[in-house]
This record gives sequence, C-alpha cells and structure tokens, in this order.
Amino acid sequence: MITYLAGRTARTLVILFLASVAVFYSLRFAPGDPSGVALSPLVLEEIREAYRERLGLNRPIYLQYLTYLGNLAQGNLGQSLINGKPIAELFVEHGRNSLILGITALLLSYAVGIPAGILAAAYRNRPLDQAIMGLGALGMGIPNFWLALLLVYLFSATLKWLPSAGCCGPKYLIMPALVLAAEGTAVTMRMMRSSMLEQINQDFVRTHRAYGLPEWKVLLFTLRNALIPIISLTGLRLGWLIGYTLIVETIFNWPGVGYLLVESVLRRDYPVAQFFSLVLVLAVVLSSWLADILYGVVDPRVRR
Amino acid sequence: MVRTTGSSEATAGIILSRMPEYQHPAARFLRDLLRHRMALAGAVVTLFLMMLGLLAPWLATHDYARQNLLEAFKPPLAPGYLLGTDQIGRDIWSRLVYGLRTSLLVGFGVTLIALVAGTLIGTLAGYLGGWVDTVLSGAVEIVWGFPLILLAVILTGAMGPGLPPVVIAVGVINSAGFARIIRGEVLALQYREFVQAARAVGATDLIVILRHILPNAMAPTLVMGSYYVALAIIAEAGLSFIGLGAQPPLPSLGTMIADGRNYLLYDHWISTIPGVTIVLLVLGLNLLGDGLRDILDPRLRER
Repeated sequence: MITYLAGRTARTLVILFLASVAVFYSLRFAPGDPSGVALSPLVLEEIREAYRERLGLNRPIYLQYLTYLGNLAQGNLGQSLINGKPIAELFVEHGRNSLILGITALLLSYAVGIPAGILAAAYRNRPLDQAIMGLGALGMGIPNFWLALLLVYLFSATLKWLPSAGCCGPKYLIMPALVLAAEGTAVTMRMMRSSMLEQINQDFVRTHRAYGLPEWKVLLFTLRNALIPIISLTGLRLGWLIGYTLIVETIFNWPGVGYLLVESVLRRDYPVAQFFSLVLVLAVVLSSWLADILYGVVDPRVRR
Repeated sequence: MVRTTGSSEATAGIILSRMPEYQHPAARFLRDLLRHRMALAGAVVTLFLMMLGLLAPWLATHDYARQNLLEAFKPPLAPGYLLGTDQIGRDIWSRLVYGLRTSLLVGFGVTLIALVAGTLIGTLAGYLGGWVDTVLSGAVEIVWGFPLILLAVILTGAMGPGLPPVVIAVGVINSAGFARIIRGEVLALQYREFVQAARAVGATDLIVILRHILPNAMAPTLVMGSYYVALAIIAEAGLSFIGLGAQPPLPSLGTMIADGRNYLLYDHWISTIPGVTIVLLVLGLNLLGDGLRDILDPRLRER
C-alpha cells in the first residue's frame, strides 16, 4: 500500500509540475500583452516598456516562471489588472463560494443517484426502472446550460419562487446546484444500476437468498460491493464537475472560481486567469490522486 | 473439420444445413441495428440532423448573419420564415442548419481526426511496448479524464475567444481517450491465437495490425466514439453559450440559445428551437452509443 501511495503521489507531483509550466507558458504566448489591458492605448511606448519592465515581462520566461513560483510560495499572488483587487482576497472569497456549490452538487448527485440506481436494479425491467432510466437518459442528454435556462424559466420567470442569478444564501444556491448535479446524478444512477445487477448474479447473493435473508438485507450486502465502481470514479466525476462549474457559475452569476476564470479570460485579466487556471488544474489533479487512493482503499487488488 | 467414418457427404450436408447462413459482418451489423429499436431511433435522428448540417448551404433560405430589425420576433411559420426570426430579425431556420454545421464540425470532424491520432498512438504504445509505451501511455493518462471545458477555457486564455481552442481541447482529450481504448485492445488481442497464427504464416507487423488487430478493436472504439461526439457537442455549445467558443456572426446552437435567454417568457422559440435540437442530437448520439454497445460488444453491456 505504501509503495502504491508513493508511486501515485510522485506521479501527481510530476503532473502538477508539467501542468503549471504548460499553463504559465501558454498564457505568456497569449496575443496582446498585459500592458494593453492596464494602460490606455494612448500611453507612450516608453511608459509601456517601463511597465513591462516592472512586471518583469522582459526577462527570459523560465526566470519569470521561477519568480512566479517564488511569489506563490510567499503568498504574494499579485492583483487583478481590471479592478486591482488582491488575488489572495479573490481566492478566499470565490473559493469558498465554489466549494459550497461544488460540494452541494456532489452530495446531491450521490444522494439521488445511488438510491435511484438501487431502486432501478431492484425493480429491473419494470415500469419504475424504465421511468428512472428514462429520466437518466434525459439527464445525460440535456446540456446543463439549457437545463439552467429551463429552470430559470420555470422557477424565476413563471413561478417567481427563486432568484434567477446572483449569490449567496440557500435560495440562490438551489438552481445552480441542481443544474451542476444533473449530469452526475444521471451517470451515478446508470452506473449504480448496472453495478448492482452485476453483483446480484454473484454466487454469494444466491447463498444469502438460500439462507432466507430478507430481500432488503440481500440488497444491503450487494450494495457494499456495488459501490466500488462508484467510489473509484469519484475522481473523474470531480474533474468533470470542476469543468462544468465554469459554465454553471457563469450562467447563474455565482461568484465562484469558475466564474472568475471565465470573466478574466474574456477580459484578458491575465494574472487572475493564470492563477485560477493553476488552482483549477491543481484541483483536478488532486481529485484524480484522491480517486487513485480511494480505489486502493476499497479494492485491495489494485495495490500492487 | 471432424473426420467421420460413415458417409462423409451426408454428414457434411447435415452440418451445412445446421450452420447459420454466412453473412458479411457489415450485413449482420445492419440487421442487428435495424432490430434494435433504440439504436435505430438514435441513428435516424443523428443522421437526419447530420444531413441538415451537411446540406446547410442548400437548405438555408436566408443569409444566416443578415439582420432585419423590422422583421424581428416573428413566430415560427410566419410568412417567409419557416422557424421565425430572432431578436434582431435573423432567420432561425438558416441559423439552425448552420449552427448544426458548427456542432458537427466540432463533434464529428474533430473526433474523427482524434480517432486517427488516438489509433496511431494507442497502436504504437500497445504493439511496441517498452519505453515507447511508458512515454505514450504516461502522456495519455495525464490528458485523459482532464475536464474538456477547463482545458478549452485555459486555451481560450492563451489564444483568445473562438472555435480554435475548443477544437484543440476536443482533439487532444478525445485522442487520449481513443488511444487508451485502442492500446488496451491491442494489448489484449496481440497474444490471441488468430493473431499468432497470422504471424506464424509470415504476416508483417503492418498486416497483423491493420487486418487482424484493428478491426477487432473497432467495436469498443465506435461505442466510445459516439459518446465522445456527444460530449464534444455539449462542450462546444456550452462554451459558445457563455461567450467563449463560436464568435458572431458564426451561428452555434449554444449562441442561439443564449440569444433568446432574455425573451423566454414571450418569444420562447428563439431559445427553444435550438435547445430542442441540441437535446435531440445528444439523445440520438447517446441512444446510438448504447445501441452500438449492445450490438457490437455484448461484453460491455453491463458497464
């Protein structure tokens, strides 16, 4: 187990290094340079040059990278080019909002997806199963931004129950969390069902039945094994969740990290774009590391 | 063939009559597809929408970018406008077929290129093994599973808004996905008897790969391929919806839905027509994927 952990961790560190270099380089190759955003186009070329000098944009790029890492390590994250807010402050505020939204959506998708999958498996090929699977197909087929519009139409425009966008407070959280959870719920449901069906045909389940265990107890024992693929895919799901956060937060004006990244990319606020690209890449890489570890914990066969 | 002591001709006759009639794999596939109702429905919907996109220049009745404020907010079936007009008087039908074209370009076009690249990488890694495999699969494992949308947004930061970053993100991530599948199949197939037999009679590596390994790796690839296309289409539309991705005047189903978002209450068709279209396209692809999985590879059925 220790070697497995060490191997995975070393791999994660290598990936992190490569990813940070890639993000840093690709944003430096961006067309137009930061002085174009921060300074008026009428400013003299000499002043522009001095500005670049001050930001260190004239130095070799690997030195810029090392300086950047050094600053990060000292907690000196720089500030937004657009409104001058310190990035550290943005990170705390938007990070908290994103965590609230992401965790709610993740819990929601498991809280609905797992029981629904079990129900579908227990009543397989009967109307309840078909209804659940139909909903699942729909959940995978509706793009999240379209679902978002439909919900806004229903709950904000027509019924006037919920605010259509904005932040903070449970009323603002409901729709973004639902939308973010929709696809994950559908996928979890389908996986849970097929995983349960796979387990139900195993010998040990027949033995349980032969002993005369009540059906709900049989299902309970089946469940333990059936959860393995769900747990092992959590990392991948988290990655996708982070990707979708970009779109869902932007639609609902939910001031999280994803919203900030999309805004900063659109407005070419590159220190912000760079930092939050790194943060989200870090989150994705760490969640896949977490998934590897969880996989090792629940399935001992992996620990080689 | 078993040697028989009795009348061998009669035995052969019995065996032949009991053998199912030979069918070309393609014919068998077509028969299975026609029998599988869900797959057939998915295929029909997908093909129909693909035709609309492919034939867009001939089907469009108006210039998709031409604005006419006097003709804005016309409902569907208004004279001269099959599906009505949007908030600045552009013909929705013409925009829809061209928007489908954008979706198909990113969905099918790029995934097809990714299929070629992924097949190449996966075959090299699986067949050659050794350090080639270590390097290639290492790279694939990093890229595979990375969220498509995040990569596209970071690339947009580097390249500016537009379709190119979306195309690159889809291409890179789907190539890695295909490479991963193909490598697994190549590893599993290369020690099977029929591959060993081909080698034993002197087939070159190229022949072994092209004639014996790849055709057998196609089933899982096709199945995943239809899901990849759906994911790419959703990602493109989502990015275009929030203002990254396709830039005006190029229509995309995502931008069309975004155009109508402020008019949902009274002039909902501006959003609902492209919205229903994209749901149909994605549902069609997913049904096709599920169906292909059942037809081509029963092993995958429970996954």
